[in-house]
Amino acid sequence: MPLATESSTRKDQSGQLAAGPSSTAASVYGSDFMVDVMKSLDLEFVFCNPGSSILGLHESITVYGGNSRPELITCMHEESAAAMANGYYKAALKPAAIMCHGTIGMQHAAMNLYNAWCDRVPLIAIFGNIIDAADRAHARDWRQSAQDPAAMVRDFTKWDDQPMSLRAFGESMMRGWKIATTPPMEPVALVVNSPLQEMVVEDPNSLVVPRYSPSIPPQGDSGAVREAARLLVQADNPVIIADRLARTPNGMRLLVELAETLNAPVIDLGGRQNMPTTHYLYQTRQGGHLIAEADVILGLEVTDFWGEINQVNRADMTFSPRIRAGTKLITISLNDLYMKSNNQDFQRYAPVDISVAGDGETTLPALIEAVKAVLGDRRKRVLAQKADHFRKMHAASFEASRQLAANGWTASPVSTARMCMELYEQIKDEDWALVSVGASEMFVSQWPHRLWAFDEHYRYLGIAGAGGVGYGLPAAVGAALANKALGRFSVSIQCDGDFMYANGALWTAAHHRVPLLTVMHNNRAYAQETMLLQGTANRRRRGVDRSGIGTAIRNPDIDYAKLAEGMGVWSAGPIESPDDLAPALAEAVRVVKSGFPALVDVVTQMR
Amino acid sequence: MNAKVMACALLILGLFGGLVAMAQEVSPSPRRGQQTFMRVGCHLCHGTNGQGSGAGSALTPNTPSPEAIASFIRTAPGRMPAYPKEVLSDGEIADIVAFLRTVPPPPSVDSIRILRILGPRK
Repeated sequence: MPLATESSTRKDQSGQLAAGPSSTAASVYGSDFMVDVMKSLDLEFVFCNPGSSILGLHESITVYGGNSRPELITCMHEESAAAMANGYYKAALKPAAIMCHGTIGMQHAAMNLYNAWCDRVPLIAIFGNIIDAADRAHARDWRQSAQDPAAMVRDFTKWDDQPMSLRAFGESMMRGWKIATTPPMEPVALVVNSPLQEMVVEDPNSLVVPRYSPSIPPQGDSGAVREAARLLVQADNPVIIADRLARTPNGMRLLVELAETLNAPVIDLGGRQNMPTTHYLYQTRQGGHLIAEADVILGLEVTDFWGEINQVNRADMTFSPRIRAGTKLITISLNDLYMKSNNQDFQRYAPVDISVAGDGETTLPALIEAVKAVLGDRRKRVLAQKADHFRKMHAASFEASRQLAANGWTASPVSTARMCMELYEQIKDEDWALVSVGASEMFVSQWPHRLWAFDEHYRYLGIAGAGGVGYGLPAAVGAALANKALGRFSVSIQCDGDFMYANGALWTAAHHRVPLLTVMHNNRAYAQETMLLQGTANRRRRGVDRSGIGTAIRNPDIDYAKLAEGMGVWSAGPIESPDDLAPALAEAVRVVKSGFPALVDVVTQMR
Repeated sequence: MNAKVMACALLILGLFGGLVAMAQEVSPSPRRGQQTFMRVGCHLCHGTNGQGSGAGSALTPNTPSPEAIASFIRTAPGRMPAYPKEVLSDGEIADIVAFLRTVPPPPSVDSIRILRILGPRK
């Protein structure tokens, strides 16, 4: 089957690629075929910051493809593009693509590719390049090209390729999509040669878009699953720990079924919303006590299982077990099936009794079936008696948080409890989704998970996978873009330090009319680092008076409402009096419901 | 005579002033306590009113004694950084406690509509 060859690439007399439209309006370009491949995958969005090595694809997406499925989303930074694709996946549960220019765009994108990699988020990263030196016209073409560009991101992408023909591109795109979306899901990188995009296809009918065939995720070994079930049913105090378990809403449903069958408490580490916070077996806040009392612990897609069963004294790096002697440990995850060497995301080694290499969500049906198979009527009655105990614990934990939230209710700066609860009051009757809390929900003392009703999988999307800042705002925009089509109300609690990394994402939200309510947690500091620096200074007995140097974001104070207004986003604040919160939030909700982004800047307590 | 009376009066005043100054030094001061509370970073985790957060326990309205606080923070097991005497003296801890005891009690949960309608959860 003849395919277009490089000899058909249009070049001018100097040997440079010809700019502008083809010689005839009817010509089909290599990048047009690439868009056909993208359309066959129903790729909805390409998050992009423009650049010369991706102009062919850029033009084909917007003109040949009609800028619809995929639609090009204008990003102000490649790091934002990668975070938007990250947030989009977690809300839409299907991958998006990013498109970046050469070596420079790739390096800009790298941080949030790394966040995606640590967070098990699939996305397709397309990088332009000019691989043949003969095709490089300017000095910058040399600087912005590489022999092996993907080497820069290979440590935190699952697979990469640099296809040198359109046929190879079609196969690579399909393969990349398949590898990215097969658990453990991860980003993949495709380097697309600029001349390949510009190539005029002599015989378009000769190009075939390969059929996509998804892989079935791997399930844990049936014998090991049966043994795990036996241990769980026999246990007096089984505990389930879940982290990035529920890839889909079905994962949450299955976890509830397993927990109810065993009447086992669940500690949800929040990589995804695994367990409804409203369920009586959601016992996350009792985690330490439950782990200490457990005789069997089941870890489901827990990245740092060792860290859950041990505690570390950061000051002298000593550690002690949190579990009692003889506790049986079971893990089900893909951690041992896929890992890279350089980045240390694999965490400290945890010796366990049964280690099942399989996707947690995929393995749960077999585990539930195995548990039910060995659960006799007598054992069922014993387990059923535990329900009241856990209902009381759940209610007591909720009540303790409710009481604590009243402390500092009238304080200025506004307490994080007041901010979160005033926000919840405004959105609780919407089909809301908390699309981002940045690098950690600890930064707002976990008030949402203490008191909001996270009763659906989509209500919470986890955090930046690697804890890298510059994720929160763009990830929220990407997620809100997905939620727009799904009819969900997107809200983000946005830390100020994180905001300043990638605030151009607000412009993207305004430009593309992304309905997103951003509530600034403006504590005017890198608060986490202030605390840690204070601890270091105390250990050295040299005083803490200078722990604000390099960590405070003051003098001048940043006016986030003005920044937002300057980018075309409705805004209010800075709000220092808690009584001013409700009217501002109510107005912001109205703006978002009308289809636009809004930002409310709240000057807050540190935590 | 007048000079002697004046000298005695000055002596008495001086002694009294000194005693007042000494009393001020040893009496815990809420104003100083608030300044110290902010300067050494207690507010980062415990909130500007000692209300507590996910990072630090509530120090109001049930404020521990200075002795209880001192015995905890000198070694501070867990996440909290230890505060040696060189960084925070016993007198400064007493000032902080004096400040925390001036913080008005929070409104009751059930007087706050947003929190009242939430629960308690069944």
